[in-house]
Amino acid sequence: MLRVIDRYAFANRLRAVDPAQKAGLAVLVILLCLTLDRPLVGWLALGWMLAVAIWYARIPWRVVIAVLGAESTFLALSVIGVAMSVSFDQPVAARWMTSLGPLWLSVSNESLQTALRLLSRALGSAAALNVLILTTPLVDLIELLRRLRAPALLIEVMTLSYRAIFVLLDTLEQMVTAQTARLGYASWRATLRSSALLGSRLFVVAYQRSQALETALHARGFTGEVRVLPLCYRIDRWLWPIGAVVVASLVVAGWWP
Amino acid sequence: MKRRWLIVALGAAVLITFEAQPAYAMHIMEGFLPPLWALFWFVVTIPFWLIGLRQIQRIVREKPEVRLLLGFAAAFTFVLSALKLPSVTGSSSHPTGTGLGAILFGPWVMSVLGSIVLLFQALLIAHGGLTTLGANAFSMAVAGPFVAWLIWRGLAGRAPFWLVVFLAAALADLSTYVITSLQLALAYPDPVGGFGASFAKFGAIFAVTQIPLAISEGILTVLIMNALQTSAAAELEALEIKGVRA
Repeated sequence: MLRVIDRYAFANRLRAVDPAQKAGLAVLVILLCLTLDRPLVGWLALGWMLAVAIWYARIPWRVVIAVLGAESTFLALSVIGVAMSVSFDQPVAARWMTSLGPLWLSVSNESLQTALRLLSRALGSAAALNVLILTTPLVDLIELLRRLRAPALLIEVMTLSYRAIFVLLDTLEQMVTAQTARLGYASWRATLRSSALLGSRLFVVAYQRSQALETALHARGFTGEVRVLPLCYRIDRWLWPIGAVVVASLVVAGWWP
Repeated sequence: MKRRWLIVALGAAVLITFEAQPAYAMHIMEGFLPPLWALFWFVVTIPFWLIGLRQIQRIVREKPEVRLLLGFAAAFTFVLSALKLPSVTGSSSHPTGTGLGAILFGPWVMSVLGSIVLLFQALLIAHGGLTTLGANAFSMAVAGPFVAWLIWRGLAGRAPFWLVVFLAAALADLSTYVITSLQLALAYPDPVGGFGASFAKFGAIFAVTQIPLAISEGILTVLIMNALQTSAAAELEALEIKGVRA
């Protein structure tokens, strides 16, 4: 999933668009979904955001759906949790109920409505966030944070760890391949031992890599700050009208009687 | 040695009964919390971020090169959480790495690093969200590390090493799980039974994935710490990690 999202973030039609523009649209849609809080708004936002990702940013629909489904386990479990009520007394005015020993499980109209509202709201806002992360590489988002005056130290640590994640992930994959070739994951016990070896060696690799980076930076005149040049972005002319239409339709859907 | 395998066997038995789902630890999804609760958890978490950031700044002023180590530490936690922890029936779950992180880097630093990891998880693998970052950071980057740290410092030397590490990592996971259930229950109280019933409900639902995870992450952390002690004593000493017998 990590590599899939990262690949499309670097290879979509909106790659060079200013991150502020894309983040503005996504955050606005999320905020509207949260504050208007109606099923219609959520479903509409979901539709719009899928359309923007698939037709405007040209990301394959399979990828968009797969990314949206990343949290389906959490969503399914918690929506069921909201819809179901648990009580010791037999509930009145329930749409559906069943007894489980001394416990009563029930679903009322009210809780079902809350659950559906929650489902649409979460899907709508997640789709908006996904448009942002599928069209914008993390380097651009970090650049956006820098423009928003986030602490310089935080920006540096984030920039470094974005790079380090892929370095460590490559190392991890090599180690897993080597372990698998030696039947390191042949049984449950072996798997646990291999995972522990993997975790501890990864820590050592991370430490040594950071030391090596330090040496390399010192050799190049490191004074205590890592400076990076900002990239050049373009403003997408069509994203403004699209955003305006999306926002207007969401507001109308939110106020519609 | 014998006792450690007893723990492994016990963990295996529990895993068989529950069968873990291949799931990331409980990241509250984008858009799931109402605006007021999302804001509330940001307000609760921000002091921890400020203190943690100030502490990191102090360390960096003394030793500028520590920022490189911090970058790799955040990446290490992120990659560790991508590890698939084994379960007996072929299904798996992902560790949170917060217990190990708190032992290695301390809870204040971990509250900042853990939040960076959570932000990256939202932006790179679509787990978690921006508006729910405050709530997720409180349960995973604040509560978990602090519980782990308190156990690690409080029990060090008073109980066997493996038991302290196991408890620190497993209880860090469990506290994350309890806090997340609490956050969901506060935001969505049960229409019949109120907050208490809702808390019990979410707790029961997520116990299926989280209790096996806590146990297997506890075991994994014990094994990692043992391996680190035998093979990375120099690195541990350079990080000035207390309570480790090098």
